[in-house]
Amino acid sequence: MFRLTGALSEQEFLHHVVQRSGQNLLECLQCGKCTGGCPIASEKVSGPRRLIAEILSGMRNEALKNPTWWYCVSCGTCMTRCPVDINMYQVATALCELAQEGGIAPSERDIHLFEELFLKSVEKYGRVKELRTVAAYNVITKNPLKDMDKAVTLMRKGAFSPLEILSGWAKDRKVSRIFALARRTSEGGHE
Amino acid sequence: MRVSYYPGCSLEGTAKSYDISVRHVCRSLDIQLEEVPTWACCGSSPALKMNRLLSTALSAHNLALAERQNLSDVVAPCPFCFRRLKSAQEEMARDPALRQKVEQTIESQVNGNLTIHNLLGFLTERVGMKAIGEKIRKPLTGLKLIPYYGCYVVKPPSVTCFDDPANPTSLDEILRAAGGEVLDWDFKSECCGAGLSLSKPEKVCELTGRLVRDAAWRGADAIVVVCQLCQANLDLRQREIGLTDKKEYQLPVIYFTELLGLAFGCASEQLGLDRHFVDPLAVLKRKGLA
Repeated sequence: MFRLTGALSEQEFLHHVVQRSGQNLLECLQCGKCTGGCPIASEKVSGPRRLIAEILSGMRNEALKNPTWWYCVSCGTCMTRCPVDINMYQVATALCELAQEGGIAPSERDIHLFEELFLKSVEKYGRVKELRTVAAYNVITKNPLKDMDKAVTLMRKGAFSPLEILSGWAKDRKVSRIFALARRTSEGGHE
Repeated sequence: MRVSYYPGCSLEGTAKSYDISVRHVCRSLDIQLEEVPTWACCGSSPALKMNRLLSTALSAHNLALAERQNLSDVVAPCPFCFRRLKSAQEEMARDPALRQKVEQTIESQVNGNLTIHNLLGFLTERVGMKAIGEKIRKPLTGLKLIPYYGCYVVKPPSVTCFDDPANPTSLDEILRAAGGEVLDWDFKSECCGAGLSLSKPEKVCELTGRLVRDAAWRGADAIVVVCQLCQANLDLRQREIGLTDKKEYQLPVIYFTELLGLAFGCASEQLGLDRHFVDPLAVLKRKGLA
């Protein structure tokens, strides 16, 4: 069990993460079942157990730069196995929001870029335009022909048409407005 | 039976086979799918990670649109869309302050009284195995199938409230009812790498490699999926996995609705089976099923 020390760092960081995520990290037993089952934990990516230890110890910079929450695909395995029911992907969201607000550059730029492009598409059209998002990602990462052979095979089989990349430009103004309002509320601070 | 249908972005994009086979199977079972008008993306994992309010608001927007259809049930074939819809409805019911904030963001009300199904759960629990069994015209005899559930349809169980997170069996049951031979394996709900397919393909190869290797070793004719992300990650990465293993993998990765459609007597092209990267038709023909 983690013992609070009353240090300023706890009030500045730990409590923020707990409040925003709604997850009581103080209950964490550091048992490691989460990292044991985490599909993205590796030599380079610590996994949830260490990430929680960093948050509990007030290591703000380490936690906000820890690649674990960028890699997290919210598979829910850690939460399924956690003896105290910590929902890690909500912790990931809290860390992502705090990192953005603190101006901390994303530690995983590729993942961040893809997620930004994905949301841009949703913000504009209300739906993600998969082909256009993939094309934009490959152009920006200077690898425009990546997986092109696979795309050609799928096109030949009629899985999708190259024309789809050119069609479907209708905007969804309602969804754009939801994005704007959500941003305004988020920037106004959390309770 | 009439239900709301929330297909999600992939099913009108790269996973059309899923959409057309879902529609075919439901038609055969006398289920009328009413598509949610002007539905939007659920924001998927990018919104879930970057902005909690936005993520909940996008799903709440879809719930509000579905509620206006005046049907009691909504069905989502995409497990992530399913999980986001369920999460949003449940989180708003639990937290009135969040609900108010979300309703202000989407500028409409959410009653929160829909029954939200993933497609697999809808077919096994609501429609029932008996009704499905009665429609089987062409059993999938001799077809060795690996049932792959992936994460989002079962995990975390506190959100999905569906099947067993470690050893789910609903897909096994459906495939058995369709006459297939279901193989047991250890990776039923292990992760495929999901949305990392573009940004971290090496991670996806590592994770899908475990699945493909095990399925091949068990002598499977195909891996059967309920999720379009699982389908794409498994279908498209076998060459890379083979390079590491110095082997050539050619394991078809098929939506369970495509197989159900075949068993109902529908032609393979009408189900989208000709559109996958690894061709499933050869093995299906060999078994006299296509």
